[in-house]
Amino acid sequence: MSVISLVAQWFADPAHWSGPDGIPQRLVEHVEISAVSVAIGAVIALPIGIALGHYGRFGNVAINISNVGRALPSFGVLVIAFQVLGLGNLPILVALVALAIPPMVTNSYVGLSEVDPDVKEAARGMGYRELAQLLRVELPLAVPLVMAGIRTSAVQVVATATLAALIAGGGFGRYIIDGFAQQDYTKLAAGALLVAALAMATELSLSALERVLVPRGIRLQRAPVARRVTTFKTA
Amino acid sequence: MNSKLGFGRFLAATAALVFVAAACGSTGGGNPSPASKGTLTVAGFNFPESSILAEIYGQALAHDGYTINYKLLLGTREVVAPALESGQLDLYPGYAATDLEFYNKGAGEANGDATATTAKLNSHLSPLGLVALDPSAAVDQNAFAVTKATQTKYNLTSLSDLAPIGGQLTLGAGPECPTRPFCQPGLKSTYGITFKAFKALDTDGPLTRAAFKNGSIDVGLVFSSDGDLNSLGLVVLKDDKHLENADNVVPILRQAAASDEVKKVLNAIDAKLTTADLITLNSQVSIQHQDADAVATAWLQQHNYAS
Repeated sequence: MSVISLVAQWFADPAHWSGPDGIPQRLVEHVEISAVSVAIGAVIALPIGIALGHYGRFGNVAINISNVGRALPSFGVLVIAFQVLGLGNLPILVALVALAIPPMVTNSYVGLSEVDPDVKEAARGMGYRELAQLLRVELPLAVPLVMAGIRTSAVQVVATATLAALIAGGGFGRYIIDGFAQQDYTKLAAGALLVAALAMATELSLSALERVLVPRGIRLQRAPVARRVTTFKTA
Repeated sequence: MNSKLGFGRFLAATAALVFVAAACGSTGGGNPSPASKGTLTVAGFNFPESSILAEIYGQALAHDGYTINYKLLLGTREVVAPALESGQLDLYPGYAATDLEFYNKGAGEANGDATATTAKLNSHLSPLGLVALDPSAAVDQNAFAVTKATQTKYNLTSLSDLAPIGGQLTLGAGPECPTRPFCQPGLKSTYGITFKAFKALDTDGPLTRAAFKNGSIDVGLVFSSDGDLNSLGLVVLKDDKHLENADNVVPILRQAAASDEVKKVLNAIDAKLTTADLITLNSQVSIQHQDADAVATAWLQQHNYAS
């Protein structure tokens, strides 16, 4: 029997849709740990990236530190965090937060630092104080890049949260690790499919959120000329 | 110019060394005649317990007058067994059930009886020109442990005692446990134990230790000869219905090297070695970081093999 039909059968089995090892429970675990990690990561990364981008200083430092962060292997962080923190969700959280931070720092830094100086000057000229200028002029203009950073982090975190199962955690990684150990390759493939599907769903829903958050003006500016209702002159 | 010459000499010297080593290999590992006590090559697998056992066998034979070459931490059975068959080695410390299932290519002939398993093992070894001697009482096999607190609370000594209370306990083991006959299914069919829950951890690794520590499991899969069981406050429950295969320590030799005298020396060791000894020896190496050869020497001295 082909792999595809075996996997389809696995999904059709009602036993896989209930109980502590059922898909709904594993989905909740997976989404929970991923969402918390991205949220904590955002709370740490966004203020740093935004502040550095706004002041336009220490940009190289931010990018370099964040590139070093990207080079940290999550599995390594996970194993070390497990040695220090023991069994539970905490080591997984540490590894995933470390993974989530770099793209958000880099993207929000680039987004803020690339706001047109003329626009900033105009805002000043119109009487915006610094905080208002940041929140009402620069940040809206940087939303596409900031959101792209959050999206990249979230997709990476969802994909990497599978590692939790290596240290006895839950989530869809459980199917992959257990399937491998039990030589139940159908379960393994089903787990991989679920992780891939969840990562894609994350990407799509965050793209939708991004479209909502991007200010109308920028949206128009990025749309094809024919669809522009008004033209904005930027430079 | 000079450096080129130097390199040429280096090459020549290396070539000579390799040649000499190869020549030594073919004579050193060769056939010792029983009359003149010859040279034996003793190998060990790539884990500390195997080094300790190889040292014990080797030093006992050395005590009897043989010259011993050691090839410790040589690799897995996939490396060691072919080297033995081809005569590059003369003996290694094996484990009855695991070796049987290796040589019969996983036919499932091993059982909980050490003597029967070793006899079966010999039926597969003899066509290859190999032989397994008497199995010792020392056994390194899967075992189920509880903390001392759990043991006292429920008054446990053997796995049978778990049957009435299994519903209150969580089992922890590698993720393969729910499908392996020696693990969860075996505990159910042989002992009638149904656990409250199962937690997928690792096979006697750091996850299992952490889970015992924070109380997320009550019963865990360990190896019976583990050096740190005592220091972790874990107690192995007796496998009173022989669910686990008999992985008793047993030396496996080339028949050409298994003279009556060699057999006598090794069987005498096997008669003395116990699982409790293995636990102590393993803890001396893995926790106190002593050398395998020193630990083996000390054990032999305790058992009246003056060095």
